[in-house]
Amino acid sequence: MGLRRIRARMKNFIAGFFAGTLALIVGVLGYLRLGLLDVRSDAAIPDRTARFLYSGIHASVRRTAPKLQSPLPQNDETLIAGGKLYLNDCVGCHGEPGKPPSDFGATFYPPAPQFSRVGTKYSEAEVFWVAKHGIRRTGMAAQGSSYTDPKLWSLAAFISRFPNLPPHVLEEIQQTPTK
Amino acid sequence: MKRFALGFVVALIVLPIVCLVYFSLGFSQIRADAKPSALETAVLRAAVRASVRRSAAGVPSPPAANDDDIVAGGKLYVLGCQGCHGDLGGPYQEDNDLYPAPPQLTHAGTQYSEPELYWIVKHGIRMTGMSAYGPFYSEKELWSLAAFLRRIDKLPREMIEKVRQKKAG
Repeated sequence: MGLRRIRARMKNFIAGFFAGTLALIVGVLGYLRLGLLDVRSDAAIPDRTARFLYSGIHASVRRTAPKLQSPLPQNDETLIAGGKLYLNDCVGCHGEPGKPPSDFGATFYPPAPQFSRVGTKYSEAEVFWVAKHGIRRTGMAAQGSSYTDPKLWSLAAFISRFPNLPPHVLEEIQQTPTK
Repeated sequence: MKRFALGFVVALIVLPIVCLVYFSLGFSQIRADAKPSALETAVLRAAVRASVRRSAAGVPSPPAANDDDIVAGGKLYVLGCQGCHGDLGGPYQEDNDLYPAPPQLTHAGTQYSEPELYWIVKHGIRMTGMSAYGPFYSEKELWSLAAFLRRIDKLPREMIEKVRQKKAG
């Protein structure tokens, strides 16, 4: 008799679980459909949300990005080439070395990380992957259609060494007129 | 019925946790050079639409825009928006580098009203490439941009020419 009772209880539990699942889905869709989710991007992001988003993104990149070795030589020339790309195309959101943080980068939600101030936890191969493929649901567009792989590797070399770039590299890229 | 209630509650607790853990452990795909599914697009677009409508409800109606305002808004568009939203007078070109892709306004136009467009440009859309431009544009500029955007796919040829004309003098 025990078995039959357990079975009946299980059945009820499972029915309840499905009903709960359904309620959750309907609840979320209803919440979205009614416009109750705030979508403005010029609100301060709560610390906990920011940590959650950034760490989830990092975990996904760590999982997905192939552990490649840069094909470029590790020298100042590579860093300077990458630095020039950075000054041309990334500073608008990610901050210029030696300057205050980017106002424009702060108007995204989540805001663009300020590499020139805080550096990055991402490895060189991960920076390459992110630059190439972008990050969905952020302002980070995929650059793979605009830049060749070697250019992206030089960029990755430069960004992944923030904020410990040799001063003469920074001087070099900032004194030559870009474009 | 007690078991049913228990199952219900367990689902409400466990499923959100599963979602959070799934994301935290990096199982969600995050590369931007892919296309969102039709379902994702439909659900989130409707959510943004509804939220903007709700949020912009308190925005006062726009000042009546004359042709000069629209042209001024168009000039702002050319400088600040067309990189993502489509060249004025240019061919249709999909942008798949951002996820979700920015709407190609020059061809698709927009469903949003002027106060809603004003609100979107000023405040941006969270978790997209659309950042907030409130810090960079004056109220007058925001409204002229909204007036232009509202009409962007229906502008007469000579208006487009006027927008694209270099400032004379």
